Amino acid sequence: MNKPEVYVKDREIVIPGQKMARGMTPGDNVYVDKDGFLRSSLLGLASLEGNKVDVIPLASTYIPKVNDLVVGKIEKISGGTILVNINSPFTAVIIPPRNNKNLGLEVGDVVLAKVKAFDGMSSPLLTLEYEGLGKISGCVLLEIDPAKVPRVIGRRGSMLNILSSKTGSEILVAQNGFVVVKPRDHKSLMAIMKALNIIQEESHISGLSDRISRLLDTILSGGS
Amino acid sequence: MLYVEKKPEKLIDENGLRTDGRRPREMRPIKMEVGVLDRADGSALVEWGGNRILAAIFGPREVHPKHMALPDRALVRVRYNMAPFSTPERRKPGPDRRSIELSKVIRNALEQAIFVEKYPGAAIDIFVEVLRSDAGTRVAGITAASLALAEAGIAMKGLVAACSIGKIGDVIVVDPGHDEDMWGDADMPIAVMFEDRLITLLQMDGPMDESQFSEALSLGMSCCELIYELQKEALRRPFVFVERKVVGGDQTV
Repeated sequence: MNKPEVYVKDREIVIPGQKMARGMTPGDNVYVDKDGFLRSSLLGLASLEGNKVDVIPLASTYIPKVNDLVVGKIEKISGGTILVNINSPFTAVIIPPRNNKNLGLEVGDVVLAKVKAFDGMSSPLLTLEYEGLGKISGCVLLEIDPAKVPRVIGRRGSMLNILSSKTGSEILVAQNGFVVVKPRDHKSLMAIMKALNIIQEESHISGLSDRISRLLDTILSGGS
Repeated sequence: MLYVEKKPEKLIDENGLRTDGRRPREMRPIKMEVGVLDRADGSALVEWGGNRILAAIFGPREVHPKHMALPDRALVRVRYNMAPFSTPERRKPGPDRRSIELSKVIRNALEQAIFVEKYPGAAIDIFVEVLRSDAGTRVAGITAASLALAEAGIAMKGLVAACSIGKIGDVIVVDPGHDEDMWGDADMPIAVMFEDRLITLLQMDGPMDESQFSEALSLGMSCCELIYELQKEALRRPFVFVERKVVGGDQTV
């Protein structure tokens, strides 16, 4: 095998089709062309770790995967099915048991659910039949780009830790890009929304946690 | 006021200049910008000579009507549309024979670059709106739509760059303008997925002999390479701006 060659820097912005490396292991969003070059298939950030080349997407849509934990909003309850918006091209369904027609849910409720089955054609099927799943009440539902979910959580949950501890709020980030916040007060909710916007815009520039932490301090210490 | 199309006396003058003062191998000025529409998943505006083309991408999204969904890959739909005010004389709104054909041609040119098998059962809708036309709208449309696809985060093998080549008398000219398109002898739009030199669109309107054809093809390839460079720059630009804003200072890029 040829000696591995790399043509991009770590965290460099790559464009669909851009030559990234040769003789390395292709990771996420990377494809190998007929000459053996690893190329990006997305507009994203190059990520080089050991022998593996990945592209971290800068924008994406949520495509359901079995066993993903998702947050959804009940859109419609009709007959034997409950339709759920999961921030995806596909509207998900929950099929409740016969004896409990609506599972105590109403239109507009927010639920934490697990993807039970999805084949790409029919609607993804959700389930609430696990410990901890079900309706979440008293919360605010925010939306972020699904590509930014790993940034909002951070390395081993570091970013999420900063957000929740500084604002004293409960935050849940689901795989599909819905964020559920139980805020301490109005001000902390505003701070979280601002921080999420910054994370989405500037996640490709290093030093993000420091900037977010400083931003939260200024907003929360400021008057009114 | 009554609009009368006026044919210029000569398309190339004795100094070898074209009606707009360009040399045979000179392109019109091009400007590209991505992310111009907030509500679309991806968008791009291309200003190419007198052309103003807006491309918008929605998707991958749920297919309606549902029976059109494909089990193994995404459904790619393209609508090429010219605004009523895009032509010298008012154009009747709505699809006509020409725009239906161009929608199909643009779809074929772009679909080969998209990893359609990554999004089974979903639809990718591409809208190409011509706001002002000045010859070569299909190639400008392909260029804009491919930028918008990349910005929407859709997995692609590479960007598609497109350009048109014309013939006036016996001279092969690059990127024909309105007059040359109307009264020139031949016109050849080309779209190339540049990374693996795959031609995804090649049409020819008017006669060319074999040597003229190969000259036009190689010129078309080099024009597409130029377009491709501009596309790459346009996609990177917004991120560079944000970075400068955050990091501060003048890091010349």
